Amino acid sequence: MKSEKKQSILSIRKLNAWYGDRQILINLSFEVQRRQVTALIGPSNSGKSTLVRCLNRLNDFTLNFRFTGEILFKGRDLYASMVDATEVRMQIGMVFRKPIPFRCSIYENVAYGPRISGVNTSVRLDAIVEKSLRRVGLWDEVEPILDGTPDELSIGQQQRLCIARALAVEPDILIFDEPCGELDPMETPKVEALVRNLKADYTLIFVTNKRRQAARVSDFAGFLYCGELIEFGATEKLFTNPQDIRTEQYVTGKLG
Amino acid sequence: MDKSKIVFHSIALITLVVVFLFFWYLIENTHTEIGQQPTANSQQPTADSHLYLLLPISLLAILLGVACAFYLEERLPPTNWFRRLIESEVAIFTGIPSLLYGLLAVEIFVSYTLGSSGQGWGVLFYAEVLTFIVLVMPLTIRTTQAALRSVATPIRESAYALGASQWQVLSNQVVPLAFPGILAGCCRAMSRALAAAALLMGIHTWGYTHETAISAGIHSRYVLLLVAALLFSTFFSFLKENPT
Ligand SMILES: Nc1ncnc2c1ncn2[C@@H]1O[C@H](COP(=O)(O)OP(=O)(O)OP(=O)(O)O)[C@@H](O)[C@H]1O
Ligand SMILES: [Mg+2]
Repeated sequence: MKSEKKQSILSIRKLNAWYGDRQILINLSFEVQRRQVTALIGPSNSGKSTLVRCLNRLNDFTLNFRFTGEILFKGRDLYASMVDATEVRMQIGMVFRKPIPFRCSIYENVAYGPRISGVNTSVRLDAIVEKSLRRVGLWDEVEPILDGTPDELSIGQQQRLCIARALAVEPDILIFDEPCGELDPMETPKVEALVRNLKADYTLIFVTNKRRQAARVSDFAGFLYCGELIEFGATEKLFTNPQDIRTEQYVTGKLG
Repeated sequence: MDKSKIVFHSIALITLVVVFLFFWYLIENTHTEIGQQPTANSQQPTADSHLYLLLPISLLAILLGVACAFYLEERLPPTNWFRRLIESEVAIFTGIPSLLYGLLAVEIFVSYTLGSSGQGWGVLFYAEVLTFIVLVMPLTIRTTQAALRSVATPIRESAYALGASQWQVLSNQVVPLAFPGILAGCCRAMSRALAAAALLMGIHTWGYTHETAISAGIHSRYVLLLVAALLFSTFFSFLKENPT
């Protein structure tokens, strides 16, 4: 029990969230384990994106957003007054559904994060860019066109570029919000393999509405339904022996 | 395509700067003229030089409008009372056809030149300045806000998710993308100001005898203003047609 507690890097406690008067998240509590893949599954509009956007304070910019509860990152309250939100986002990165490379070269896309956090020698930047692109298996494909624009890349390559861009700032946690939502079936396995591979060095949170995908990539999984966390636990258990009837219906495809 | 865009943007920008410097030069000259004792001959050209003062003022108003739009759009929430106040004022002022501003400007200008006994800065001159500011500033605020808003949220969020600060997102991501739109808005506002100035110049010319007008080079300046106005509206339409 004690050793398990030490493994937890992010604790979500009694989280309630609203957009205006509408409650989106209802009393969620769960733990995210270090260097594991935690999947969040659930039908559309169940509040998955809202939840993960709380975790890296991206909802700070949403005007009518409001929440109660606690989110502890390495034991520290993410929303405490002296915590700098930009530092939080540097440590808890995010990859979105739609890959949106910046309007600059492939190299500059990856170098952007390190640059703004103060790395400015070209030797170090070169090393970071190469390392990040290698990590996502894109280096060999893009090495000759590093100075070209990302528009020339396929959507799948662009998504891996966005992952490399997120890795370049060396976050502790990387959140994937439906990273394969826009990708074709040929590209999806590459990203899934990448997620499994990144687990060795990063804590991953993986949002998806494809249950099989969650079963393939994750170690822990939570089932979100209408803003409630119906069930949370080891992926295998959640998929083979769900405790709640709604979870069972969802994983067998009868619900959502 | 991208390169030609860059070239075009720089041309528009350089023209703005050159026009600004040109009018700046004229102001410098105007100052010495204001100091002079008015004679029967120098009276009219003095009023004429004040016209040139209006254009740099318009340009400053445009820059102020851009700054104002940045502040409203990026720093204040849409629910803020000040932002709502300014936005509704802007909506009212941009809703007024520029013809009406032109008429207002002419009205003030005519009574100004008729009434002025050469001592220069009168209340009417300030009224004229105000007309020009109201002519360009709301338009600039609106187009700049629209340009900033056109930079989609996801691109901002991608930068935020890498740990960029608000300032970094604004300067590295939003401004480069919104720049053509902002520049287009500035060109459009400048074209409006120049057209109004040309109108005043034309009216002023009719006040002279033909020979005086020619010797003062009024006709050529009138044409110059019109050409500049046209140039800016061309820039505007070109920049507008290539939204990023
Ligand atoms: N900025 C916002 N303001 C108001 N309501 C919002 C906002 N963003 C999301 N919502 C609402 O919150 C609910 C949950 O949305 P959310 O995006 O978290 O769902 P999701 O589980 O990620 O869905 P999907 O699988 O489609 O991405 C939805 O009903 C949505 O309409
Ligand atoms: Mg979502």
